[in-house]
Amino acid sequence: MKKLLTIILTVLLAMTMTACNIGKKEDEKIIIGICQIEAHAALDAATQGFKDALIAEFGKDKLVFIDGNAAGDPATCATICNGFVADGVDMILANSTPALQAAAAATTTIPILGTSVTEYGVALNIENFNGLTGFNVSGTSDLAPLEEQAQMIIDILPDIKTVGILYCSSEANSIYQVKVVKTYLENKGVTVKTFAFTDSNDIYLVTGQAVDECEALYIPTDNKAASSADIIDSVTRPAGVPVFCGEENTCLKCGVASLAINYYDLGVTTGNMAIKLLKGEVKIEEMPIEYFPNPVKKYNKEICEDLNMKMPSEFIPIGE
Amino acid sequence: MITLSNLLYRLPGGVAQGLIWGIMALGIYITFRVLSVSDLTVDGSFTTGGAVTIMCILAGVNPILALLISFLVGILTGVVTGLIHTKLKIPAILAGILVQFGLYSINLHIMNMSANVSANPDRFNLLISMRDVPNAILIGIILSIVHIIVLYWYFGTEQGSAIRATGNNNNMALAQGININNMKVIGFGIGNGIVALAGGLMAQYQGFADINMGRGAIVIGLAAIIIGEVVINFIFKKGCSFYTRLASVIIGGIIYYAAMVFILWLRIDSNDLKLFTAIIVTIFLAIPNLNIKKGGKQNVKN
Repeated sequence: MKKLLTIILTVLLAMTMTACNIGKKEDEKIIIGICQIEAHAALDAATQGFKDALIAEFGKDKLVFIDGNAAGDPATCATICNGFVADGVDMILANSTPALQAAAAATTTIPILGTSVTEYGVALNIENFNGLTGFNVSGTSDLAPLEEQAQMIIDILPDIKTVGILYCSSEANSIYQVKVVKTYLENKGVTVKTFAFTDSNDIYLVTGQAVDECEALYIPTDNKAASSADIIDSVTRPAGVPVFCGEENTCLKCGVASLAINYYDLGVTTGNMAIKLLKGEVKIEEMPIEYFPNPVKKYNKEICEDLNMKMPSEFIPIGE
Repeated sequence: MITLSNLLYRLPGGVAQGLIWGIMALGIYITFRVLSVSDLTVDGSFTTGGAVTIMCILAGVNPILALLISFLVGILTGVVTGLIHTKLKIPAILAGILVQFGLYSINLHIMNMSANVSANPDRFNLLISMRDVPNAILIGIILSIVHIIVLYWYFGTEQGSAIRATGNNNNMALAQGININNMKVIGFGIGNGIVALAGGLMAQYQGFADINMGRGAIVIGLAAIIIGEVVINFIFKKGCSFYTRLASVIIGGIIYYAAMVFILWLRIDSNDLKLFTAIIVTIFLAIPNLNIKKGGKQNVKN
């Protein structure tokens, strides 16, 4: 018992000491809580862009970022956001749909900026959504210009008969994109087949089935597909089936071309919104959701050469 | 930022979530401790509960009624596992895994093929929400007490006793004329019913149901049960009542989440969150074994 008491006292003492040390330094700093559902290239890039934009404006010394990563667990987003509210942060960056929902459920007063969220109206269950939430949530949408992407497939492969759409059934954002692209292509007389996988374990098999049945594949902006892009590439490239992607990071690993949004720039756009809010120039209730301004036509040089595909001249290679 | 007061402000949120997971752990307790089988259906049925609750609420059903509907649907999932186990003679762990797998698709269908459905707390009247943590804790405590009382009463009835007997010793129960297969199916059903109800609570608390929300539920539930047992064995060295045992499961859930809040509060790189959670649970699991060793030494000295 004595030992236990000693341990508890030591721990408490240590806590108070850290408290004294750190508590003093951080007066008058801007504290921003960042909640991200999981670590992967696109989401990390958005977070980085957001941070860089703010650091460029206010300087590193005036900012404190609290990074919260839920390791793929939606319930952990709730724990993280609760923590931010308890800490009294000045602003929350919610990176991805579950993070945004958890943050919106946690607070009605702290401003919340979302990013990498495709449809705010769907995510927050707002009827007749017109771009303004009317409460403490705004942010950027990662909605790619879907119809232009679908048209891009037809432009590059004019004789195409069947396109397969590969996506993860556990991604809230993907299903919406699948519907839009499917409708567009079918109206142009292309047969569309959808292939949903549940996680990285069955992606290999599902992709295998897709390349058997289709002449080309389309992958929407999909977190699971993005993190399993190498697996997809290991099936599609040997089969000689070109993959068109809704997002650049996926295209870099397994795609031939993409009319892409760049998550880093999307993060920067979100950061610029944050700067306006922190300076008090606008109220978050009056700040509409922003979209990625200039999607760029890009292609993957290595994979296009492997598949003997020639890209129109307006496409630029990824990474240049 | 890492101050003690910060930790104290953060704790209530952890307690509220811990209560919900504690209620879920009560469901797992029925299969794991009372029936002495491991039921892995829960990762699926937890999500089923969340999905059913949110879809009901979106359709205008009262949030309490929505929870009851989730409870009934949860029972259904458990009964399926039970039937696969008893009628088709498939080991319980496998039966649970199979149903859990199948539930993924069923849950997607329940949520209208979308992976994530939200019920905005501004537009819907929810029983429990992150917006109001003290109220969430109050509701969590009330629901926990209701569960403990009902379970205590139920496991004292003839049927409840028969389930306990089945879990204690299959052959003995069979010799007493108990239909052990039926008892197992009922046990699986009630267990998953409670898990689904907790899933519904969690979905209301966080404001959405997500296809991945049940991921790891079995781990959290088992951790809560065992942490609770460690605590209870430490306090009551000479054994305790069934009431206290059930309450210990809830307390285990709260301690688990308090530990998680503590880890997040330490600002350990959150990518390491799962590792540190695993380490903390391992420590709890190891405590009883270490105690036995210590006790043994003392006996030698005496």
